[in-house]
Amino acid sequence: MTGPSASSSPARTPAPILNPVHALPFPQAALPILRNTQLRANVAHATDVIQAKRARLVQEKSDWQALRTAAAAIRDNVLQNLGDYLEQFETNCTAAGGIVHWAADADEARHIILDILRHENASEVIKIKTMTSAEIQLNPALQAAGIDPIETDLAELILQLGDDEPSHIVVPALHVNRFQVREIFARRMGLTNLADDPQALTAAARAHLRKKFLSVPTAISGANFLIAETGSVAIVESEGNGRMCLTLPRTLIALAGIEKVLPRYRDLEVMLQILARSATGERMNPYTSLWSGVVPNDGPQRFHVVLLDNGRSSILARPVERQTLRCIRCAACQNACPVYRQTGGHAYGSVYGGPIGAILTPQLMHLEHAQSLPFASSLCGACYEVCPVKINIPEVLIELRAQVTDLERRHTSRIFDPMYLGMRIANSLFANASRFRIAQRLGRITLRPFTRKDGWIHSLPSLGSRWTASRDLRGLPNQTFRDWWSARQKEKP
Amino acid sequence: MSATSSRQSILARIRAATAGPASLPYADLPRDYTHHGALPTDAVLHLLTDRLREYDAEVSECSPANLVATIADRLRASGRHKFVAPPDLPADWLVPGFDWAIDNNLTHDQIELCDGVLTAAFAAVADSGTIVLHHSATEGRRVLTLLPDWHLCILRSSQIVETLPEYFARCTQPPALATFISGPSATADIEMTRIKGVHGPRFLNVILVRDDLESVPHRNQAGSHDRL
Repeated sequence: MTGPSASSSPARTPAPILNPVHALPFPQAALPILRNTQLRANVAHATDVIQAKRARLVQEKSDWQALRTAAAAIRDNVLQNLGDYLEQFETNCTAAGGIVHWAADADEARHIILDILRHENASEVIKIKTMTSAEIQLNPALQAAGIDPIETDLAELILQLGDDEPSHIVVPALHVNRFQVREIFARRMGLTNLADDPQALTAAARAHLRKKFLSVPTAISGANFLIAETGSVAIVESEGNGRMCLTLPRTLIALAGIEKVLPRYRDLEVMLQILARSATGERMNPYTSLWSGVVPNDGPQRFHVVLLDNGRSSILARPVERQTLRCIRCAACQNACPVYRQTGGHAYGSVYGGPIGAILTPQLMHLEHAQSLPFASSLCGACYEVCPVKINIPEVLIELRAQVTDLERRHTSRIFDPMYLGMRIANSLFANASRFRIAQRLGRITLRPFTRKDGWIHSLPSLGSRWTASRDLRGLPNQTFRDWWSARQKEKP
Repeated sequence: MSATSSRQSILARIRAATAGPASLPYADLPRDYTHHGALPTDAVLHLLTDRLREYDAEVSECSPANLVATIADRLRASGRHKFVAPPDLPADWLVPGFDWAIDNNLTHDQIELCDGVLTAAFAAVADSGTIVLHHSATEGRRVLTLLPDWHLCILRSSQIVETLPEYFARCTQPPALATFISGPSATADIEMTRIKGVHGPRFLNVILVRDDLESVPHRNQAGSHDRL
């Protein structure tokens, strides 16, 4: 693998599709990316840096495990009592002057937001980075309605101007390096003399967006947390683009998944301590904003919250999968994942990449799409280890694999699928000791011609090539354990 | 539109999904993390100073009697002239010799034209170097500490706690507005290189007022040796 370089012509990959309905299965989507050494170098660099910072700051926190335990318990309490907390949030937000909307699915959420914007006569809207808006494919809907969505997070701006898609939950443009950013900004902002150091590039973004912040009267945000006790919304960010969007416009719309609620204000004492450390390897992110409804003379005077279900309530109903909804979107699992670190986020075909995406996306799609994602993991458990709310991602992956397999098995077209045929044969062989012994003997004879001197099989013909195309296979040993054991017993005096 | 029916159907699905046995009640949730810090006041102030400087903030320390002189000193050192201030700041903080705009509903454009802003704060958390604003009339509306590029924030040592849970313990009544500031606006979006000052103020200045020293006169002043 090469280091980050100025290479001007990185291998081109097809435009990423971050819609699970249309995306390719993970192995097919990952293949061209694996050939893009520039992208892989960029992803490896960024995830290495964040992981090192995170590890250092988690190390210094002597109560880290107690914080994780508390965070997981708070999130579980929220999920178990979600209906009550949401109603409490709605009551308090409404009392504070906010307007609460409920959206059963992506389509309804888009309609609610478009109706509000039409009522405001909006032709432009400034946006804080929100994964949920990407989940509901909001930007294309806004554009189709003649409303220009302006992304204000630096990374999202890079992607929007570069006609690219986010590949990470927290650092969405980590697959793009400074030379590529310079090229995009120079082209789209008409800055021919732009330097390629991050300082100059950041300054260009500041100047580009300043006018928009001061003039566009409507904004869209996500929500990191909703506080039931006060009806307030919290946004956690670094750049200050969030504060601009939350403070300057006349009208603000916050789009939030129904699981984002916390019971009380003081629960932030746990969440804020774990979130920044896990997400960016900082003790605290530069800015956290919290507001309740409409505050006279301070900030937007019209405020809407859109509470989005879009599949979440069915995840809630399933005992093993429910923990998926504890997620606070820190992306620590992405940075730690050996699969994500090779492919980046685009291969996951959704704005939620990495391990959390591999469990969340198929569930949001009711397993009708993205069935390949639960298999995009080596089950090494690194994601579980770093998760600040203790989501046992491998456990959910295995549960989803079982469900996908059950679904596939029922398909009549799958009866003669070599994999399921092979599984049925294996099932019968493993069920009986003498059949198993015969199979071992046959296997040893059949595989011997393909086994090299180093004891490994590097290439098999026909169906076997499906395995050896991407990994080697250990040749069968000349003596099985059972043979060795019985020989040893005989030798004993 | 079927807004009401969506509300009902979502809540019905949630109720059905969570109908199982109740889990731990909220009051019994495990909270075995550190609530109270163990450091003495001087060490807490040192920690806060270190953390703020790690974020490239400038930190000075002074006695209550020297506060106005220290404010004047910081304003002069900034090389800026036009400052904005929230309406209820003590009058003597608005040091003569500078152009002061008082925020009695100034427009965004008027605030944007100011070079800097002077405010008080609600609290600060040493462990993470966090300044908390509740946007009272001495802390300013949110826009006030957002548009000007330079922020001078006055913190009294009695407002400084060591851990984040200590701040929340002080909030008997949750605020309607809060902003947690941990260093100047920053991004690492391009190759994880930390760049200061994307959209928020690029320069954060903090004055720590030692209001603890007068009530505890025997305490030594070890904390003030490295003042700026």
